[in-house]
Amino acid sequence: MDWGIVGDILRLTALGGLGVAGVIAVLIWKKNRSTRVTFLRFVIQATALAAIFYVLSYTVSPASGGLPPIMFLYVMVAVFAMTIVLGRVFCGWLCPFGFIMDLESQIRRAAKIRYRIVPDKFNVALHKSRYVILLVFLLLPVVLWFSDPRPIMVSPLMAQLLAGHYRPYSVLLDPLIPFIVPWKGQVIVDQVNLTYPYALSIITYAGTNIGQILAIAFVGTTLAGAFAVRRVWCRFCPTGASLAVVNRFKGFKWAPILHISKDEEKCTKCGVCKRVCPVQVNEVYEQKSGKIITSQCMVCARCVEMCPYEDVLMVKLGSKTLFKSRNWLEPSRNE
Amino acid sequence: MMNEPVEKRYMPEVSRKEIDELKTTMKAASQKVMAENIERMKKADPKRPEAMKYFDEISNLFGKRQEEIAAEKAKGKKVIGYMCLFAPTELILAADAIPVRVNSGWYDTSKLGDRVVPVEVCPVIRSTIGAKMIELSPFMEQSDALISVLTCDGMTKLGEILSDYKTIWGMNVPRIKDSTQSLRFWNDEIKQMKNQIETFTGNKITRNKLKEAIELSHRATKAFRRLQELRKGSPVIMGRDAMLVNQTFLWDDKLRWTQKTEALCDELEKRAQRKDWVCSPDTPRVMITGTPMFWPDNWKLPTLVEESNPQGIIVADEQCSGERILNDPVGVDEWSMDDMLNAIGERYLMASTCPCFTSKDGNEDRINWLLNKVKDWKVQGVVYYVVRGCMLYAMEYTRVKKALDKINVPVYYLDTEYTREDVGQMKTRVEAFLEMLTARVDM
Amino acid sequence: MITVGMDLGTQRVKAVVLKDGAVASRGQALSSFDPTKAAEQAVEEALKAAGLKLSDVSYFAATGSAMDMAPYANGTVSMMGADAKAGVYLFPKARTIVDVGAEEARAVKCNEKGIMVDFVVNERCAAGAGAFIEAMARALEVKLEDLGQLALKAERASPINASCVIFGESDVVSLIHRQESKPEIARAVFDAMADRISSMVHRLGVNPDVVLVGGVAKDVGFIDSLNRKLGLTVSIPQYPDYAGALGAALTAASRAKGAQK
Repeated sequence: MDWGIVGDILRLTALGGLGVAGVIAVLIWKKNRSTRVTFLRFVIQATALAAIFYVLSYTVSPASGGLPPIMFLYVMVAVFAMTIVLGRVFCGWLCPFGFIMDLESQIRRAAKIRYRIVPDKFNVALHKSRYVILLVFLLLPVVLWFSDPRPIMVSPLMAQLLAGHYRPYSVLLDPLIPFIVPWKGQVIVDQVNLTYPYALSIITYAGTNIGQILAIAFVGTTLAGAFAVRRVWCRFCPTGASLAVVNRFKGFKWAPILHISKDEEKCTKCGVCKRVCPVQVNEVYEQKSGKIITSQCMVCARCVEMCPYEDVLMVKLGSKTLFKSRNWLEPSRNE
Repeated sequence: MMNEPVEKRYMPEVSRKEIDELKTTMKAASQKVMAENIERMKKADPKRPEAMKYFDEISNLFGKRQEEIAAEKAKGKKVIGYMCLFAPTELILAADAIPVRVNSGWYDTSKLGDRVVPVEVCPVIRSTIGAKMIELSPFMEQSDALISVLTCDGMTKLGEILSDYKTIWGMNVPRIKDSTQSLRFWNDEIKQMKNQIETFTGNKITRNKLKEAIELSHRATKAFRRLQELRKGSPVIMGRDAMLVNQTFLWDDKLRWTQKTEALCDELEKRAQRKDWVCSPDTPRVMITGTPMFWPDNWKLPTLVEESNPQGIIVADEQCSGERILNDPVGVDEWSMDDMLNAIGERYLMASTCPCFTSKDGNEDRINWLLNKVKDWKVQGVVYYVVRGCMLYAMEYTRVKKALDKINVPVYYLDTEYTREDVGQMKTRVEAFLEMLTARVDM
Repeated sequence: MITVGMDLGTQRVKAVVLKDGAVASRGQALSSFDPTKAAEQAVEEALKAAGLKLSDVSYFAATGSAMDMAPYANGTVSMMGADAKAGVYLFPKARTIVDVGAEEARAVKCNEKGIMVDFVVNERCAAGAGAFIEAMARALEVKLEDLGQLALKAERASPINASCVIFGESDVVSLIHRQESKPEIARAVFDAMADRISSMVHRLGVNPDVVLVGGVAKDVGFIDSLNRKLGLTVSIPQYPDYAGALGAALTAASRAKGAQK
C-alpha cells in the first residue's frame, strides 16, 4: 500500500469537501443578511478542518510512528488556554466534529426536513452528565494504575496517560480527529482507512472485535443523530464539558472575554434566540441583561444574527462590540 | 369550537326595519366622521404627502376595499375575520383567504351593544356587538368565519356572543407566556388553526405558500419599520397620518399596502432631506399607549393632541391597533413547515406586549417596549389612553407610571368612553398636559 | 407693567389685575349664558377698582373651562398651569396645589418655579367638586354657607356613599329619614368629598406643603375634613377663588416680559 498516493487522494477529497462547504456557504450568504455569521463560521470551520487534516496527515505518517505524545499536551493546553479567554469558541468555530454536524444540519435544512428538539430538562440533564463522563475519563488512569494485576505494563507514565493504549486524557482531543485520515484507521472501506472521533478510543477500550462493531454503531448513531438533532454530540461531549468547566468557577466569571451580551430594554422577548440556538441554550433568552453567563454557549452567534431587533444581542470582546443584532428586515441605506 | 346555533343565545331579535333604519343613519354619520377626520388631517399638514391619498381612500370602511373583497368573495375566496392581533394572519394568507380585523370603532353602535351587555363592559366590545346587530361593518358581514382569541375578558365573551351569527374559532392564549409549556400549548393552537383553516377553505397550506405569506409579512414589516424610523427624527409626518397608514393594514391588501407605504416613505425621506417639517421640531413629542383606538371615531384623541394649543406631535404608540400590528417579524430559522409554524407561534405569543399577559416579572416586556420607544423616539410625554371598562390597561397604569417616573418622563392617564360628549373635557386635560411638556422643554 | 388674568369658570368669571408683580385689584361676575360678557364685566370691575383703563393693560391671559371665549385675551393658560403659578406665588414653599371648583377638582404638582410637573383631574363626576356640596345642602335644606359651620359641630360622621351626586343625594335623604342628626350628615358629605380629593393628592405623591384654592376652599367644613384626611394643615390663601385668575395674570406677566426681551 503506497501511503503517498492514498494520502494525496484523501487530501484532494478534503479539498473537495472544502469546496462543497464553500458553495453551501455562498448560497447561504446570498440568501439574506441573517446568515452572514453562519457563512463566516463555515469558512473558518472548513479552514480549521483543512489545517488539522494537514497537520495530522504530515506528522502522523506511518514512517514516523505517530505523533509524539507531547504534541497532544501542547494542543490541549492551547485549546484550554483559548477557552479561558475566548469561551468555547473552539466548539463553535473550530471543532471538526462540530463542523461535520453543522454540515449535516445544512443538508437537512436544504432538504426542508424538520429537526427534533431535545426536551429542556433532558438537555440540562445531558449537560450535567457530561461532567460525569469527563470524571470517569479523568479517573481511569488512576484506577487502572492501582488495579492489581495491572492489565499492562505502564511505562512511561506520560506516554501512557496521553498517547498509549490508555489514553483517557487524549480522548479529550478526539473531536479534533477529521473524518478521513491517511494513516491507519479503524474502519477500512476499499482499502481506505476511515477514522472518526472516538472510534479509536472505543476500539481501544472494548477490544478489537466488539470495539469495531461498537465503533461502527457509534459512527452510525452520531451521524444519524446529528441529522435529526442539531449538534447532537455537543450535548454529550466530554471535551466541551471540560472546556465549560474552565468557565464555571466563580473566580473565572470575568472570563471569557468573548461573550454574548444583551440589552434588556430593547428586547421584546420574542424567543427567536432560544429557538435558533443549535445547542438549545436558554440563558440568552432568560437572562435579563448584560453578559450571558452559561457554560453551554459556544459563541456561534446564531442568536445574534437572527435577533430581529437592533442592538439587542451583541458579541463582545471585553467591552468592545464585535457584532450586534441589527434588524435583518431593515434594508441598509446603500441597498 | 362553537357552531352556528339555530336560536340566538345572546343577541336580541331586531326587526329588519330597525336594522335598516339604524344602519342607514349610522353609516351616513360614520361617513361624515371619516370625511371630517381626513379633512382635519389634510388641514393639519398643508403639504401632506401625495401617497396619503391612497390611504385616505382605503380608510373608507364602506368604500373601495369592501367592494374588492366582495369581488374576491364572488370568485370563491373566503374571508376570515379576527378580533385580536393574535390571529395568525400568515396562515390565512397562505390558505388564499383574506384576513380582516373586525373590531368596531363606532361610538354610536356601543349604545346598541348595551342591549346585550351592561354598560360597564369595555366599549370596544359593546360597539362591536352593536355593529354586528345592525350589520354596519362590511368586513364583519363579509367574514365567513371569525377567529376569536381569548385575551381579555371582553374578547373572550365577544366571540361567544358573536357565535349567534358566525362560525367562531376560539384560540386559547396562555396568560403566562415565558414558560415552555405555554409555548407548546400555543404552538399546538396554531397548528390546530392551520388545520381548521385548511378544512374550511379547502386549500392546503403548503410549505411554499406559507413561506410566501411569511415573506410578504416580512416585506410589510420592513416597510412599516422604515416609516417608524422616519418618525424618530424631526417630524415629517403627522402622527395621525402614520396611525392611519398603520391601521389600514388591518383590512387592506397586504402587498398593495406595502408598496404604497414604501412610496410614502420615499416621499417622506425626500421631505426629511428638504428639512420640511410638518410642525416645529421642538413641538412636544407624544406617545400614546393603552386601549386600542379603532378608526374612525377614535381619532378623537390623536386629533386633540395634534390640534391642541400648544400643539403636540404623536411620534410613537404602543397599541394593538397601531405599531404592534407590524412591529415583530416572524423569525424563521429553517424554512421547514415545522419551524415556520413554531416561528409564527412565537411571533404572536412571545413578542406580544398585550396586558393580558403576566410572567415571572409581570408584564415586563411592555415596560421595556415603552422605555425603549421613549428613548429612541425621543418621546417627551406619554398619554395613557384607557376607555372605561378596559380593566387590563387601567390596572397596568401604576406600574407604567413608576417606570416612566424613573426616567423622568411625564405620563398622563386619560380615561374616556365611546362618546363624543367629553371632547371638551379631554381638550382641557390634553392642553394642560401639553402645556406642561412645553414648560419642561423651556425649563 | 400691568397684566390681567381672567378665569372663566363654570359658575363665575374672576379677573385679577397685576401691577408690577403685585395684585392691584379683583373683579368677578356670574358666568350665566354668556361667559364673554361676564368676563368683560369682571375685567371692567377690576380695572375700575384699580383706576386703570383697558389700554393700560399690556397682556391679557385667560384660563378656565370657557377660556376660548375670553374677550381681549392675548393668550391662554391651562387651569392646572395657572393653579401652579398662583400657588407658588402665594406660598413659595407649596409644591402641591389642590383646586376644588364648582364642577371640577384638580390636584397639581409643581416645582419651585411654579411650573407644573404632574396633575390629576377628578373623573368626570361632580361628586368631588363644589356642585356636590351644593346638592347636599339642598337635600339637607341648609344654606350653602352654613353647611360648613354645621359640620364642625358633629362628633362623628354618618356613613354615606359618594360615588356620584345623584346617589349621594338619595343617600342623604335616607339618612334624614333615619333621623340622623344634620351636623353628622353634613360632616359625612365633606368627608366623602375630602376622601376623593385626598386620594387624588396621594396619586401625585404626598407632599407636606399643600395649598387649597378654588371656590370650595372658602368652606370651613371641607377644610376641616380635608385636613383630617390628609393628616396635615393645608394652606389657604385669602382669596382662594381668585387663584386661577391670579395664575393667569402671573403667566401674562412673564409672557409680556418675555416678549419685551
